[in-house]
Amino acid sequence: MSNIDLTLQIWRQKNSDALGKLETYTLDKISTDMSFLEMLDVLNEKLTMEGIEPVAFDHDCREGICGMCGAVINGVAHGPEKETTLCQLHMRHFKTGDVLVIEPFRSRAFPIKKDLVVDRSAFDKIIQAGGYVSVNTGGTPDGNAIPISSHIAELAMDAAACIGCGACVASCPNGAAMLFTSAKISQLCLLPQGHAERKKRALSMVETMDKEGFGNCTNLRECEAVCPKSISIRNIARLNREFVRAAFSEG
Amino acid sequence: MWLLRFSTSSIGKKILMASSGLLLILFLVAHAAGNAAIFFGSNAFQTYADTLHSLPVVVFVFGVGLFAVLIVHIFIGIQLFLQNRKETASRYAVSTKVCENTLASSTMPYTGLLLLLFLLVHVFGFGVNPTDTKVSVLVVNLLGNFFYGLFYLFSFCVLAVHLSHGFWSMLQTFGFNHPRYNDGIMKITYIVPGFFLVFFGAITLYFMTGLGANY
Repeated sequence: MSNIDLTLQIWRQKNSDALGKLETYTLDKISTDMSFLEMLDVLNEKLTMEGIEPVAFDHDCREGICGMCGAVINGVAHGPEKETTLCQLHMRHFKTGDVLVIEPFRSRAFPIKKDLVVDRSAFDKIIQAGGYVSVNTGGTPDGNAIPISSHIAELAMDAAACIGCGACVASCPNGAAMLFTSAKISQLCLLPQGHAERKKRALSMVETMDKEGFGNCTNLRECEAVCPKSISIRNIARLNREFVRAAFSEG
Repeated sequence: MWLLRFSTSSIGKKILMASSGLLLILFLVAHAAGNAAIFFGSNAFQTYADTLHSLPVVVFVFGVGLFAVLIVHIFIGIQLFLQNRKETASRYAVSTKVCENTLASSTMPYTGLLLLLFLLVHVFGFGVNPTDTKVSVLVVNLLGNFFYGLFYLFSFCVLAVHLSHGFWSMLQTFGFNHPRYNDGIMKITYIVPGFFLVFFGAITLYFMTGLGANY
């Protein structure tokens, strides 16, 4: 176990309307076994002792599965480790003397609430627009009553791995939410249970995505590169197909 | 109306961008096929040009169609550029690109603009022809000029850069993305712009170097 000394530049912003700016803090003797969020906890304890308002940041499970945490570290969403959420990023990936610039996930559709906390309810609106999946009521269905090939189940599972953290939007130069929306649409359109509302879902989720102020996808692949769950842009290709099919045949 | 809703949605605009791009690539293929006559001598080239212009209906229909496709490609391109620029305007203090090969993809609006400039020069050079010079002579005169030829070579490089993102991006937008074919698609994405660069570049160099002075 070793310790490192860091300089942090963190975005501080009182509320959605206030002007924010980067503040510099120094933090000594940080254990390399800490996670990034634990390092921020240490910083906040120090700031509280000094009578300074602690840094607000979102977090929940700290196991990399809930999608609550996330910040942009030196220009990369969730930091330099691939396929890793911010909470699972450990301080052993940094060294003494490093300057870390920590900024919130920025996008027109994600207004900043405070410091590193952003309002990602635009994602919820997209999910809500997806509506429901029709299932039969009645007795408990037999296991495997609906045949699903393992290949399709795997693809749906890969899409379902999306935790909705918003790193794709934060890293997209256009602020597009295509990777998120495509993962959610793929998950449901691949499985037979989601087929009944397939077209309606594609149309309304894309419509909501546009309305919420997300940008246009220009296939820059930045989203795929930072996604902590390595959601592939193959899902975006699938979304494009779903949308075109629905637009030309639904209603 | 569903078609209006489709073409104003973000994915609809992508599809229109990709479809018009595909038609423009097909036009380039046809253009290259016609220009191949140059390598069979000035008579062959002049015969090709005369035959084409003896069919004014065909020229008119294809001309109008091509113009419409071009307008769609440019108009939606500008619209996307302006919409996306609202987001891009330096939002992070430090911004790092994780993904490689983004030179072509991040400069699409600018390479597109350069290509429009080239198109205007090209159309005014060869299309508008007040002196009634034969096109087989005109091509020697224009491309024989060193700086004119250099501008053409530069523009073909720009075209290659534009297509090296555009072609793959078009297929992705149409929904072609499958692990089995992705390697092949990546290869074609470099072969197609490479072909146009070599072919059109060869014609330009043919006249620039004086090799084609008496073709």
